[in-house]
Amino acid sequence: MLEHMHAGFVAAFSYSNLGALTFGTFVGIVVGILPGLGPMVGMVVLLPFSFAFSPDVALSLLLGVFCGGYYGGGIPAVLLRTPGVPSSLVTSFDGYPLTQKGEAQTGLSAALLGSFGGGIISVVILIFLAPLLAHVAASFGPPEYFTVAVFGVVLVVMAFRDQLGRGIMLLGLGFWFSTVGIDGTTLSQRFCFGTLVMQNGFDIVPVCLGLFGIGQTLILVERDIMKNHDIQLSRSSLDFSKLFKLFKYWKTLIRSGVIGTFVGLLPGTGSILASFLSYDVAKRLSKEKSLFGKGTPEGCIASEAGNNAVPAGAMIPLLTLGIPGDALSAVLLGVFTINGIYPGPLLLVKEPVLITTIYFSMLLINIVAFAMLVIWLKPFAMIVKVPGKLLAVVIMVISLVGIYAVNTRLFDAGVAISMGVLGYILLRTGWPIVTLVMGFVLGEIMENRLRETLSLGDGSLMILFDRPICIFLVIITILIILVPFMLDLRKSRKKKPAN
Amino acid sequence: MSEKPSSASRVHDLFGSVLGLFALVMLVSSPWQVDSSGPDPFYKGPLIFPLIVFSLILAGALPSMWRLARPSIHASWYLDGHGRSFKTLTILGLLILYPAGLLFLGLEISTWLFLFIVLKLVKQDSLLKLTIIPILVTMILFVLFKFFLDVWFPEPLLMEPVKEWAIKLLGE
Repeated sequence: MLEHMHAGFVAAFSYSNLGALTFGTFVGIVVGILPGLGPMVGMVVLLPFSFAFSPDVALSLLLGVFCGGYYGGGIPAVLLRTPGVPSSLVTSFDGYPLTQKGEAQTGLSAALLGSFGGGIISVVILIFLAPLLAHVAASFGPPEYFTVAVFGVVLVVMAFRDQLGRGIMLLGLGFWFSTVGIDGTTLSQRFCFGTLVMQNGFDIVPVCLGLFGIGQTLILVERDIMKNHDIQLSRSSLDFSKLFKLFKYWKTLIRSGVIGTFVGLLPGTGSILASFLSYDVAKRLSKEKSLFGKGTPEGCIASEAGNNAVPAGAMIPLLTLGIPGDALSAVLLGVFTINGIYPGPLLLVKEPVLITTIYFSMLLINIVAFAMLVIWLKPFAMIVKVPGKLLAVVIMVISLVGIYAVNTRLFDAGVAISMGVLGYILLRTGWPIVTLVMGFVLGEIMENRLRETLSLGDGSLMILFDRPICIFLVIITILIILVPFMLDLRKSRKKKPAN
Repeated sequence: MSEKPSSASRVHDLFGSVLGLFALVMLVSSPWQVDSSGPDPFYKGPLIFPLIVFSLILAGALPSMWRLARPSIHASWYLDGHGRSFKTLTILGLLILYPAGLLFLGLEISTWLFLFIVLKLVKQDSLLKLTIIPILVTMILFVLFKFFLDVWFPEPLLMEPVKEWAIKLLGE
């Protein structure tokens, strides 16, 4: 155990890993600060480059973008009331009023303290919880994995309950994309339409880069997402005197970090729910309830700690079960599988050094992101002045060349453009694009587990009811589907007499 | 922030119905699209999952198809007030031409040309931006992909005759 810890520590502090996580964090903060981009765009743009590195360095690079994005998102939320990432919207509730009162430094200190605290707390929970969950999952067979995957997928779709039909369609479309090419089990051709290039199937890089990278940039070139560029910051670095005063909110910080981690752990819930829930709980339990919404640093701490705890929370099901919690961790799953590493309970046994490297890297990313923003607060904040359209055009070119560079196939660039068109339509119509990515990433896992389960049950799914874990998961899944509908029905019945 | 798309717009139903019809066509044609001639029983074979998937898409699309066929009185085609995206379509066209440009003109010329035209289209057309950004990005891509990562790019087809002509000219 100590040997692995030492090896992980050495790997995390190697020059290449430190360089990758620092660069990733820098990119993450930049894309997080820029409204309309976000960590997903940063991750998918860097995805093709990550293949040039070893898995631990590649993961540090992308985790840097993942975590850094949430750090950056709070800055424009406090200064301009424009959240860099959607979950930072909650930070603007109290951050912007603080800026209006001339206390931008207090708002930013609270946001940064919340981000740092939430990030560190969630990594500590990850370190302790992942082995426990992996221990339980070690007894899983194909039926258990299949029910876990179904449970995850249902959670994601139900998170977009108001668009249930659309969510199901996109999930199905994602599943279908995962089936294109040669079937790994039987080596049969599927949906190749008589072409040779389709036999390799769709790679995760062009699909994700197209959907999020190109799709988002096409939206950016037609809209002015942010018009207010007036930044009110007195000094270029963070004022530590304001930061130290905020330690009195340590209870809110820890509570929000824990809430964020557990929300991140559940597939499909996402960082928006984490920040809303943390903020709401902080407001309910605060002694200064009336100040919430009018400019209290406690609100900023709660919101940022909640959303910054999500990345490490999302890593728990990813590392232990191989189930990504959101689109961002789905991309990370792609990095694992492309490098021949399959996340699951055995990962912690088979790749202990990689796992400990990830833990140390995540701790380092939080420290690096915090330090970067403390030192270069104003220069980073000034990034919002860079025209979004200009960035969008540059990202398009880098994305396309990057996609081509992965396999030196122009076909991949074509796939990315097609996915970009689909991504643009989905983003413009507001359809739940996350379900498409989840379907694509989980499709292969689900199909294989389903076929294995059916083989074990001689073609019958009744085998699921012979296994206690499966029965438990099936019941939970059914409840997740039924309970919200029943609650809706009750609500509408209550409304009717009132009307 | 941008205006939220109207969730009741008929555009959603149209898009959903197109996806549903696509799923129906694929569901029917799947046995011909998937090579299921292997010895495995159906439940172990490559066809079972695609059939489930297309049924799932079709099931999800049914409400959209119903609403498209029988629209309510308040139904409209209004989406988000951002109008028709002619500029985006033009950029998309240029984006499609860009990989072709890599094939015919090479990385450097096609990148510079793409950036120059699109920056002009999106009105980022100050002299400084139009001259510096395309050259800078082209240089970065060249150094990163050709120099550091040693990625192979196709020999530009159109450049060959130009090269020959230049050599001939210099020779004379």
